[in-house]
Amino acid sequence: MTREEVYVRLNKIFQSVFDDESIIVNASTCAEDIEDWDSFEHINLVVAVEHEFGIKFNIKEAKNFKNVGEMVEVIMSRGEQ
Amino acid sequence: MNEYRFEDLQIGLKESFVCTITQEMMEDFRRLTGDVNPLHLDSQYAVEHGFKGSVVYGMLSASLISTLGGVYLPGKYCLIQQVETKFVKPVYVGDVLTVYGTVQELNDTVRQAVIKVEIKRDTEKVVRGCLKVGFLE
Repeated sequence: MTREEVYVRLNKIFQSVFDDESIIVNASTCAEDIEDWDSFEHINLVVAVEHEFGIKFNIKEAKNFKNVGEMVEVIMSRGEQ
Repeated sequence: MNEYRFEDLQIGLKESFVCTITQEMMEDFRRLTGDVNPLHLDSQYAVEHGFKGSVVYGMLSASLISTLGGVYLPGKYCLIQQVETKFVKPVYVGDVLTVYGTVQELNDTVRQAVIKVEIKRDTEKVVRGCLKVGFLE
């Protein structure tokens, strides 16, 4: 799984969770960039990403993602296991 | 009142309760919401539009999902995060409804339970839905 593939799949998840097909995420995308990215939608996002990639975040990771780039790093590291 | 915590739940766990829809509940719902649509108040109007009588407010039937989460599954520690509903059959005053909840998914990272909801009149489904709940510590 390449980094580019992860971003493509993540992009679809973000568009679905936030019901906005105009969203295009990159490494620096954070909650401040997406109006509806609140604590509730963060839960939906974490669950959707776990399902899509077949991975589990730990609670600390799930709470502390500062941006999409950090999320991608964890997804990539899980993929290598 | 049940007191399931996240750790107590398992996929497939079921709870249910029975509720009869009364005319008083309809009047209370109208007062609370201000929904005076004649489909719910005027039986003749409802019959003229193909129903057997005044149709119970869909959101009144769906409000039983709050009771399912807050009292039965998981109960005391419930924090309702999301509800999805489909009103698949009309409900009428006097109908005896059974509300069923089944744990369908447990997302431990975010401590969220996804509960499949079915509300039935006898064996006939009148509402289908999905309830997502978190838990008070």
